[in-house]
Amino acid sequence: MAAHDLPAPPLRTVPRGERLLAAYVALVILFLALPVLIVVPLAFSSDVSLTFPPRGVSLRWFANIWARPEFLSAFALSAAVALVATGISMVAGVLAAIAFVRHTFPGRDALLMLFMTPLVFPAIVLAAALALVMTPLGLLRSFWGLALAHVVLTLPYILRTAVATLSEIDRSYQEAAHTLGADRWQAFRHVTLPMLRPGLLAGATFALIISFDEFTVSMFLVGPGVMTLPLEMYNYSEFTLDPTLAAISTVLLALTCLAILIIERLVGLGKQFGG
Amino acid sequence: MMISSSDAVGVDLRGVRKWYGAVPAVRDVSLAIRPGEIVSFLGPSGCGKTTTLRMIAGLEHPDAGEIRIGGGLVNDVAPWKRNIGMVFQNYALFPHMSVAENVAFGLAMRREGRAEIDAKVAAAMAQVRLTPLADRRPSQLSGGQRQRVALARAIVTRPSVLLLDEPLAALDRKLREQMQVEIRQLQREVGITTVFVTHDQEEALTLSDRVVVMEAGRVVQTGTPAEVYERPRSRFVSDFIGFTNAVAGRIEAVEGGTATVTMRSGQTIRVPAEAGLAAAQAVDLVVRPEKVELNPPAEARPGRALVSGTLRHSVYTGAVTYHHVDIGAGETLIAMASNGDGHGEAPVLGSPVTLGFRPENMLVFASAV
Repeated sequence: MAAHDLPAPPLRTVPRGERLLAAYVALVILFLALPVLIVVPLAFSSDVSLTFPPRGVSLRWFANIWARPEFLSAFALSAAVALVATGISMVAGVLAAIAFVRHTFPGRDALLMLFMTPLVFPAIVLAAALALVMTPLGLLRSFWGLALAHVVLTLPYILRTAVATLSEIDRSYQEAAHTLGADRWQAFRHVTLPMLRPGLLAGATFALIISFDEFTVSMFLVGPGVMTLPLEMYNYSEFTLDPTLAAISTVLLALTCLAILIIERLVGLGKQFGG
Repeated sequence: MMISSSDAVGVDLRGVRKWYGAVPAVRDVSLAIRPGEIVSFLGPSGCGKTTTLRMIAGLEHPDAGEIRIGGGLVNDVAPWKRNIGMVFQNYALFPHMSVAENVAFGLAMRREGRAEIDAKVAAAMAQVRLTPLADRRPSQLSGGQRQRVALARAIVTRPSVLLLDEPLAALDRKLREQMQVEIRQLQREVGITTVFVTHDQEEALTLSDRVVVMEAGRVVQTGTPAEVYERPRSRFVSDFIGFTNAVAGRIEAVEGGTATVTMRSGQTIRVPAEAGLAAAQAVDLVVRPEKVELNPPAEARPGRALVSGTLRHSVYTGAVTYHHVDIGAGETLIAMASNGDGHGEAPVLGSPVTLGFRPENMLVFASAV
C-alpha cells in the first residue's frame, strides 16, 4: 500500500510550502547568529589556539584581558569617545532637528541631505579627509580629534531619529505650553524634550554602537596612547590569534545585551526601531 | 474654593490683518469683545476665524492693526506673557504627564508654591468633575474627559481671556450637546471673557452671547444669536446659519417702506423694503421654514403674505414635518409644521395648498448676479 493511499490524519497537516519556509527561516537565523554565538564557547576554551569545538573549559582568556592593561585602557578610551561623541551629536542633532522640522529656510533640504551623507559616504574617503584636516589642526592622534570624527559619524543617526520623532509631535503641544505661560526654553524643556526622549534614546543607542564599533576612520586618527578597542584587538590579532579576542567579544556581547535590555525596559526599544 | 475671575477684561481688535505669503487670511477685522462676554467666531473653513483666534492668543503675529487685551496693546507681547487660557482642537494634553500634572502646568510655570498649586488643581478638577482621574494619563481618557482636562488646564491659572478652537469638533453629537451646556455653565461661574471658534452654527447659537459671522477673512455680521438668525444681513449669513428657503423675484415697486415683489411664478407679495432696494431689481427672497405656515386658518390670514401652490411631498422627521410646496415655475417653498399641536391631518399630496407668513419674516437680498 502506497503512503499516499492512507487517509489524511485528523489533525492539521503542515503544508509542504510552509515547512520549506520554516526551514529556510531557521537557516537564515543560524547563518546570522552562528558566527556571533560560536565566539562564546571559544572564549571559555582551555586551548591555546582557536579550535572548535574546544577541548576543555577555562577562564584563562578572561584573566588574560585583565593581565593586559592595553585592552582595559583601549576599552576606557572607546567608551569615553562613544559617550562624548554621542553627547555632542545629541545636542547638535536635536537643535538641528528643530531647525529642520519647525522652520523653513533656503537650502533646508540640501542641508539635511548634507548632514546625512556620512551614512552613504565610503568610510575610507571620510577617514582620509578627516586625517588631512586634523593634521594641521593638531588634532591627529588626540582624544578630541577622535571624538569629533565620531560626531560626524554618529550625528546622522541621532538627527534622523530626532527629525522623525519631532515631525510626529504636533506643534499644538508647544503652543499649548506657551499659552500656559511657558517661554520657549520652558516649553522645550518640559514638553518637547520629554516627548522626544524615546526617539532620542533609540538614536543614542545607535550612535553609541556605531562609535564603539568604528574601525576605518579611527585607524587613521589613532596613535600611541590613543587607541580604540577594535584597533587594539586588531593589533593583537596580528601577532597572536588566541581565544583572548573571543573573551573580549563575549564581554562586549554581554554588555550590549544588558544595555539593550535596560533601554527596552525604559522605553520599549522595539517600538523605536521597528514599527 | 471655586476658580472665578472677578476682573474680566475686554478684547479689542482694530483693523487686524494677516497674510500667509500672498494669500490674505484675515483682512481688516475690527471687533470689541466686552468683559465677561462669550463670543463665537462662526464661518466656513478658511474664513479666517482660527487665524483671528490665534492672533488673540499671540500664536500668530498680525501684519497690520491692533489687538488689545484689557486695554493694553499686545501685538508684540509673547503668548506666555498674555495670561490667556486656550483649548486646542486636539486638546494638546501633554502625553507624558498625568491629568493632574497637565492641569498644574500653568501654575508651575507661574512659579506658585506647591501647596497653592495642589489646592488650585484640586479645585479645578472638582469643577470639571475629574477628581477621580487625577493620576491617569491623557491616553487613558475618553474624548469628553480629555475635553474637560483641557478646559480645567486652561482656566486654573485664572486667565484674562479663554480661547477655544473648535473645542467640540472631535466629540460625537450627544457628548457635544452635553459639553455645550457644561462650557456655558463653567463660563458663567468663572465669568471669564471667552472667544471660541466654530463652524457649527448650532453650537454658535447655543453657546454665545454674540456671534461673529466671518466670510473670506472679513466679519460679515456681529449680533446676538437671535439677531444673526432672525435678521441675517446677507444671503451668506442666512444660508450659513440655519436652514432657509430661497426663491427668486423681481421688485415691481417700492413705496412707503413696502416693496412689491413678483416671484418667478408670477405671484406677487408685499414685504418690508430694506434700504437700497429699487424697482426692477432682481432679488432673492429668503424665509425660514418654521416661519411658513401650511394652510393657515382663516382667522390667521389677515396681515399675512399668502402664496399658493401644490403640495409635492411631506418629510416627517419626528418632532416636525417639512412640507415641500411647488409654487410654480419650478420653485419650491418649504413649510415646517410642528407635530405636537394636535392638528396632524396633513393635506393629500398633490392637493392645492396655501402658504402664509408674516411679511417681515421674508428677507429680501439683492441677487448676487
